[in-house]
Amino acid sequence: MRRHLLAAIFFAVFLAPAPGSEKPSQLKPFVRGSWQELLRSHAGRPTLVHFWGVTCGPCKVELPLLGKFMKEHANIDVVTISADLVPDLPGATRGMLEKSGLWPAENWIFSDGFVERLRFEIDPAWQGDIPRTLLIARDGTVTTIEGSAEIPDLEQWSAQQFAAK
Amino acid sequence: MTDETRTGMQAMVRKSLLGTIALALGVLLGQTAASAQMSHQHASEAACDETVLRCASKVTPAFGPDGTLWLTWMAGGQISVASSKDAGRSFSNPVQVTREKLNLDWGPDARPKIVVEKNGGIALAFAIFRDKAFNGQALYTRSADGGRSFAALRPLTSNNESQRFEALGLDADGSVFAAWLDKRNRVPAKESGRKYDGAGLFFASSKDGGATYTEARLATDNTCECCRLGLAFAGPGRPVIVFRNIFEGGVRDHAIMTFSDLASPGDVRRVSRDDWQIAACPHHGPSLSISATGTYHVAWFTNGKARKGLFYARSQDEGRTFSDPLPIGRSDRNPARPYVLAGPRGTTMVWKEFDGEKTTVNVMTSRDDGKSWSKPSVVATTSDTSDHPLLVSDGQKTYLSWMTKADGYRLLPIGDES
Repeated sequence: MRRHLLAAIFFAVFLAPAPGSEKPSQLKPFVRGSWQELLRSHAGRPTLVHFWGVTCGPCKVELPLLGKFMKEHANIDVVTISADLVPDLPGATRGMLEKSGLWPAENWIFSDGFVERLRFEIDPAWQGDIPRTLLIARDGTVTTIEGSAEIPDLEQWSAQQFAAK
Repeated sequence: MTDETRTGMQAMVRKSLLGTIALALGVLLGQTAASAQMSHQHASEAACDETVLRCASKVTPAFGPDGTLWLTWMAGGQISVASSKDAGRSFSNPVQVTREKLNLDWGPDARPKIVVEKNGGIALAFAIFRDKAFNGQALYTRSADGGRSFAALRPLTSNNESQRFEALGLDADGSVFAAWLDKRNRVPAKESGRKYDGAGLFFASSKDGGATYTEARLATDNTCECCRLGLAFAGPGRPVIVFRNIFEGGVRDHAIMTFSDLASPGDVRRVSRDDWQIAACPHHGPSLSISATGTYHVAWFTNGKARKGLFYARSQDEGRTFSDPLPIGRSDRNPARPYVLAGPRGTTMVWKEFDGEKTTVNVMTSRDDGKSWSKPSVVATTSDTSDHPLLVSDGQKTYLSWMTKADGYRLLPIGDES
């Protein structure tokens, strides 16, 4: 069962349309190993990974700003990961992503009750505070923004990615 | 067929379907995989979906004056209570406190609260999400017949703005003190075009053992909105609350407040200058205990510029000044969820560590009111998700109370070895 699921995720990740394209997105279950798959699938592309949750107040303020950022930066892969502890809320998660204009992004949702393990794979020092944004440059360099990101900082990072080309 | 079996069968059908499609049509799978995974127990914090203790995601203990252990827990979307006369080896038949299925607050720092009064009355409080925007509501109930039945649920306050992270404490005269985080002040702020950060720290008290509470009052505004509170008594009628505050510049460091009586909040005093400036929900609140000598013991998590990790500090002047923060745990193992309890035979601190595979609960003890601490040792381990480790005292011994998904509920006496 688990192997099938992983295979399914593998296919989904590798055959998914380029993030930001017109095709409607889906909510992918984020399980053990998903982080490495995600990194592999975006290797060589500037990628913004945003961790958030449906009950997080600051996240509600930030999501629409990120939706706007994504719309204006088609050359950045935008990935969201709902990192709340209980994953049985795909409806609420989808609703907030749609409202923020982020549904066309690549969207994941924590789907393992053992969240310490999921977080450990992403960043062993991360204790679960959200929002949190990781900016992954083409060379794999990761910049971590704790808390709400400032859009001008994202703009600056985005400009650097293409200036360096 | 019960709802549970029907849901289970639907899940099985989905799973076997998924297997078939996975082999044949790997490409189209994303959505099906997602829904099957959602319904899989693996995705849950709980081991099972029923209302029994074994299926609980959060369990809160309290000892009664006669040495009976009382537990309240969240399981199967309900709040239940049971007691044990043999330190957790066996339990009474659980009594379900909630009747309809509620969207219980499942935030990382949320849990039901329980206090057991001298006369055997039991006061409970917990929060629910009452709407699709995850606005919270703090509810309470009381048992006047030794836990055999509980009164209908009532809101702690009649205000309809979001309330979460309630705390309950029992005063020496049997009064019940309640504190919680409350978003009501965002309404007038919004109306006048002002920015409103965080939530207000509100409180109320009950002179009838938690049957009715006084009108809610504000202790201090603009505190961090997503962390549990620490509550203890400095003496009769003097509750003390430690909370993650929002200081100038959006710095979410800890503060403490000592009330002069149940209706009179005191000054906001800073526990530590960690300088954690973050517009986020840390989901990681502090712990407070006050020893018979009046020493305040505080443990907390920060990721500030000045320090990162878990820390402990003590105050002997009611929170005006604190000792230098003492780092707790192994920094390479993500120490988390500290809990401190001053008991008659010493002060105990527990916290979690994670090595990438296993979670351990670590303990250290102090025989000199927190001035010095034993070397940490591991008291319990689990290989799947777990509740926060809590400490509870029967007036003599201190116990670790810990709910784990893989290994169930544990009540372990903390040894005297240090």
